[in-house]
Amino acid sequence: MALDFIIRCEAVAKSYWRGTLEIPVLQGLDLEIPRGGYYALMGPSGSGKTTLLNLIAGIDRPTGGSIEVCGYDLNDLDDDQLAGWRSQHVGFIFQNYNLVPVLNAFENVELPLLLTRLSRRERREKVLEALALVNLTDRLENYPRQLSGGQEQRVAIARAIVTEPDILVADEPTGALDAKNAEEVMALLERLNSEVGKTILLVTHDPKAAHHARIQIHLEKGVLDRTVEVNR
Amino acid sequence: MVWLAFLPLLPYLAWLVWAALRHPIPLSYNWRSLWQRKVSTLSTAGAIAVVVVIFVVVLSLSQGISRAFVSSGRADQVVVLRPNARVELNSSVERGQARILKTNPFLVQDADGPLASCECMVVKLLELADGSGSTNVAFRGLEPAGVRMRSQVRLVTGRWFRPGLPELVVPQKMVGRFANLGMGKSLFFSGQSWNIVGVFEGGGSAFDSEVWTDVEMLMQAHRRTTFSSMLVRLHSAEKVPGFVKFLDDDKRLKLEGKPETEYYAQQTEAGKPIQVLGNLITVILTVGAIFAAMNTMFAAVASRTAEIGTLRALGYRRVEILASFQWEALMLCTLGGLLGAGMALGFNGIQTGTTNFETFSDISFAFTITPNLMGQGVAFSLLMGVLGGFFPAWRASRIPVTEAMKGG
Repeated sequence: MALDFIIRCEAVAKSYWRGTLEIPVLQGLDLEIPRGGYYALMGPSGSGKTTLLNLIAGIDRPTGGSIEVCGYDLNDLDDDQLAGWRSQHVGFIFQNYNLVPVLNAFENVELPLLLTRLSRRERREKVLEALALVNLTDRLENYPRQLSGGQEQRVAIARAIVTEPDILVADEPTGALDAKNAEEVMALLERLNSEVGKTILLVTHDPKAAHHARIQIHLEKGVLDRTVEVNR
Repeated sequence: MVWLAFLPLLPYLAWLVWAALRHPIPLSYNWRSLWQRKVSTLSTAGAIAVVVVIFVVVLSLSQGISRAFVSSGRADQVVVLRPNARVELNSSVERGQARILKTNPFLVQDADGPLASCECMVVKLLELADGSGSTNVAFRGLEPAGVRMRSQVRLVTGRWFRPGLPELVVPQKMVGRFANLGMGKSLFFSGQSWNIVGVFEGGGSAFDSEVWTDVEMLMQAHRRTTFSSMLVRLHSAEKVPGFVKFLDDDKRLKLEGKPETEYYAQQTEAGKPIQVLGNLITVILTVGAIFAAMNTMFAAVASRTAEIGTLRALGYRRVEILASFQWEALMLCTLGGLLGAGMALGFNGIQTGTTNFETFSDISFAFTITPNLMGQGVAFSLLMGVLGGFFPAWRASRIPVTEAMKGG
């Protein structure tokens, strides 16, 4: 049976410019990720893994090649269309959680839903559902400063999944957590992949975190070095 | 009017309202963000409040002066002056001319004779009660008919002056402001003592800034042989243009008539220099306050770039970020505006005076801070919010998402 690829990258290149000096970060990278996949992008600093994640998530643009995600060629979308596309198809999980400090857990999770046409009641239901999934329904009114790092990251995961996106992208989601909380977060992501069927693309340095993925993609100096299937 | 300044901004403001209703980054987010930076928020709001206070007080001052002059005249009365004399101080009317005019059939008669008053206007230096120096005060000598012709003036205590006696009647508004100006007190000038026998209330008119006495006594004291002006009442306001034309055409009298309302309306120019100075100070402070608001908002953007990046990553578009930060600037400035409008209320009812630059004499008036003036003050602060907030909001909306995610 043919695989349903949700992400297709063809000859993707990305360079940054420092004055007149071109710094290539990704050099003609090809990659296909099937729907429901759980992939970890690994590699040393500067290998281009976060850049690739940003390109796939539609928050940066390639200088060459094409990226098709969820049936959309991202090069065809302008800035506003790309923003709209992100709100529907991508959920973000960041290393430093990136919660808005002046909004409580409920309001943080509700933020992406304010871009939809859902009623207040429908939004509330979805927020409670997402927070229940990360086991934080007792912390609705808490502000980020009143939560532990692990709880903050779980709120961030609830925010990422509340719109039911096709893909979750996570950039070093355990980078700021202790071992116990890191394990909990990774277990949660694994559940979202195996039970809810979310496609997850994870950037990490941490081999333990990467071990939760099904496929590890190793980048080296902007090119695909090797792909490893994780045996569990 | 400050409202006019909003006209070119209307499309932008309408868009802001639409943006807030359609794709809301919740306004509570902005309000709480402001509150999180209490010190910078309150210091900026304080600076804006000071500008709004000055703005409202200057407006109140200019309106107070205008109201004083506009409420001074009657539509059926004419001030008779020497041709081309802008004010009574520069005018003279001969006794012979006055006698002829009093017999004019245009004039209304009451039981005591024609309603016409020969008047003399002089300016005298009086000591201020607070000891801060002295200022010129207008003294009006008038005939008994002159008192009857000013219906807005009423005696509060004592009695009117008696012809032939050195007696003064003073306006209540000046009583607290000048030394020795009060019921039962006396002033010494022109070699004699002048007793204050009454206090009157001028109903907010220009007469609240004049000391009244008998015209003949005042002329004798100043060795004047001619009156300054004459005030006459006609049968109706419709008769006024005819009477003015009659005076223009009469080569024997060589006098000029001005409808009393028009004469005082012209005097509103008296407040112009103060108004110009006030406006100049307001403009300078406004520029400062706009930069203060801009600085605070730029600092807010700088400290929240990661948040901006997060919002953009979640799907909020540039315009929504622009609208959100613009709303935050408007909230900040409105807070300042409301504070300022509240502080300006503290000036309400304060009696003060300024110089009439037409006569170089004091104009007494009370600051009146009306809801309309306060509204204009808040609107003015909104204007500062639009101008001071736009560039930081624009900057926030233009930060590339990947750069913003790293915290700028």
